[in-house]
Amino acid sequence: MELREEKVGEVSEEEVKGRIDSTTAPALGERLRANLEAPKVRVVLDLSRLEYISSAGFRILLLAAKRADETGSRLVLCGVAGKVKQLFDLGGFLDLFTIVGSREEGIAAAG
Amino acid sequence: MIEITIVNQSSELARVAGLLDRLAAERHLAPGMVADMQVALDEVLTNIMKYAYTDNAEHEIHIRFRVFDNVLEAVIEDDGAPFDPLAISAPDLSTPLHERRVGGVGIHFVMNLMDEVTYDRVGERNRFVLRKRFKT
Repeated sequence: MELREEKVGEVSEEEVKGRIDSTTAPALGERLRANLEAPKVRVVLDLSRLEYISSAGFRILLLAAKRADETGSRLVLCGVAGKVKQLFDLGGFLDLFTIVGSREEGIAAAG
Repeated sequence: MIEITIVNQSSELARVAGLLDRLAAERHLAPGMVADMQVALDEVLTNIMKYAYTDNAEHEIHIRFRVFDNVLEAVIEDDGAPFDPLAISAPDLSTPLHERRVGGVGIHFVMNLMDEVTYDRVGERNRFVLRKRFKT
């Protein structure tokens, strides 16, 4: 898994490339915790280059979404497609996150 | 057939994923089915490491991969306590975010991503067989 961070105005963009499994999930968790440490922040997570995500990864995403809810922050997911979308659907996770199509829509939705 | 023996530490999981990647490349397996197997393996091995052992000792887990008759197969054997994942009920997927727990989703993934999942207690060992058929 590779993480690439970019700041677009007030919005933090995180692109996740590769795989989120029990080996890589902790690093993503660290990054999201750091991103969501301050209240009322905006984070867009771009999953368009993600190959797959296991339940260890969903656990991290759920924790981040709860954290965002509690601190008045926004966490928006984009680029959920193909195999990754199938896994979100299978786990019943599609309705638990704010999910938009593109990164641009993500920035608009987060802002 | 290729096989690997790991110990019950999460740092070992990357070696298993790497071996499956190598097999997938050699046999030109479709990325989608390999991803399904990678997720299922991650779930099964994580479960074994978390729940199968009642002591703090090091334990070995054996994983064997085979490709035959349009099937990618993984056989996983551990010497942990008897554990039948097929006996676990499906998670309630309708619960809202704040009450949602991920427990059970891993097994749900395994059952749905694989075409065949079997569990057997063989002597003092658990044996899981995961099978994914190629789409032709």
